[in-house]
Amino acid sequence: MAVFLPISARVEALKRNALKRNASGNASTLQPFNVSTASIALPLSFIVAGLFALFAGAIWLVAQPQILTAYHYNASAVAAMHLFALGWLGSVVIGAMYQLVPVALETKLFSEQLAKIQFAFHVVGFVGMVLAFRVWNMKFVGAFGTVFTIGVALFIYNVARTLVRIPKWNVIAAAVASALAWISLVVAAGLLIVSAKTGHANFMFRFNPIGAMHAHAHLGALGFFIMLIVGVSYKLIPMFTLSEIQNHHRALASVILLNAGLAGSFISILLQLALKPLFALIIVAALAIYGWEMMAILRARKRRALDWGVRYFLTAISLLAPLSILALVLSWPKLPLNPFTGQLENVYGFVAFVGVISFAVIGMLYKIIPFLVWFGTYSKHIGRAQVPALAEMVSEKWQRLGYWIFLAALAVTIFGILFSNALVARIGSAFFAASLATLALNVGKILSHCFQPKLAPLAAPKKL
Amino acid sequence: MTGTKIDEAAVLETLRQIIDPEIGVNIVDLGLIYGVSIADGMVRVKMTLTTPGCPMHDSISGGVKNTLLELEGVTEAEVEIVFEPPWHLSLMSEQARIALRVGNF
Repeated sequence: MAVFLPISARVEALKRNALKRNASGNASTLQPFNVSTASIALPLSFIVAGLFALFAGAIWLVAQPQILTAYHYNASAVAAMHLFALGWLGSVVIGAMYQLVPVALETKLFSEQLAKIQFAFHVVGFVGMVLAFRVWNMKFVGAFGTVFTIGVALFIYNVARTLVRIPKWNVIAAAVASALAWISLVVAAGLLIVSAKTGHANFMFRFNPIGAMHAHAHLGALGFFIMLIVGVSYKLIPMFTLSEIQNHHRALASVILLNAGLAGSFISILLQLALKPLFALIIVAALAIYGWEMMAILRARKRRALDWGVRYFLTAISLLAPLSILALVLSWPKLPLNPFTGQLENVYGFVAFVGVISFAVIGMLYKIIPFLVWFGTYSKHIGRAQVPALAEMVSEKWQRLGYWIFLAALAVTIFGILFSNALVARIGSAFFAASLATLALNVGKILSHCFQPKLAPLAAPKKL
Repeated sequence: MTGTKIDEAAVLETLRQIIDPEIGVNIVDLGLIYGVSIADGMVRVKMTLTTPGCPMHDSISGGVKNTLLELEGVTEAEVEIVFEPPWHLSLMSEQARIALRVGNF
């Protein structure tokens, strides 16, 4: 007969407490563990495609800094914007979602096969759209946009079916579901805008084309990317810092308010209503509550030292504060329409997509890529050989260097955009490319483990 | 029957070879092992993970099993992962807390 040997009195004490809670009906019952990590090839394919788009976009900005210093309603700016939003951020975020959603929500991805099919539609769609925007051929934009939309539809269906499986909804699931709803509206709005430009969807002519474009871009940035950053960080930041959500109501309030503000903002930007500042204020309130909860999570953390991936992420979300101030200024209906306010809009877009979203995504990539490679290379060797820890797979020196260069790039480029100085914007973009070079070196270092695993023999088991 | 005596200390010493790859501390000092039961050559380990959604679930439980089977005298190994009671930092050893610079709790 087996004899149970207690490991420590502290475990026993915790167990007794848990039993008491069970007896009083307050404890959550033990859930069968049913998490499945998608094969690493799937998220890595999206991530690698995204990184290629990022590097191409950075080189493009160095070669043509006027994309940033001229008003953004031109072929190159719209093409570059779609390269960053769909090619870089879209690819990486979708790939990461296929891996993170099952982890964060403790379930299985509905269909890996659908995700693989989406990858083909996604890459063909965004590459074609960027090229078509560059030559301003709206028929081709519409055709490749449709291809891209089919991919997005597969993504939405797949993640929605995954959400249906989760046993208990929480703030993370609510944020993911919201992001799915908003991305469907973003894509639909994009297709309608293109249809109007090709002589279809004539009802779109009742809307100001700049207003429609801004409503579409704003909803994409906040409704999809920021919503996911907010939702997923409620799982990942506590996980990486050994902490927990401090106030679930506060976390949920941030997501609800963000949704309310987004709905109102979309309509008020599209119709250019005087209510814009009100909805901007609601979004700012949502982000302030999010920041409040993040601070509380960080204050309660037990792991004092923050790794560079987390630092990138936290720095990025702290940039939501100046971005919010700029949003309130730009939402003011009496703001004069002059070249300077046009450049302020460019700064707003740049800080949102590069300073906040891209920086946060790079930070999370420093957690996700090592995990994926480690999982694919080393998980089968645990217990048979010594395997490296995730932190040993990246160069901290390159991470630190990349972090500071990125911040310098942001400061210099913002200055260049604000004063429409192409030379300064080019220097800032070169810094940005240099920062990305450190990311590329680190990604190469991480991927090298796939080809040259660093295994060491285990110490011999103790003989009795 | 191998006739070799296995005890809890030996099992724990063996399991110290398994490092949580995210945290960089072995699973024993991290306090993830809740219990060990031994009957003849059969070893059962009841353990937890730092978070219920931990993506390392299968890797770590598989690794524990592999390691146990390497131990002389072990003919069968079972790993049960539980999340009640939930893992807490108070379960970490003093060495692990120092290594992680874990604050007060």
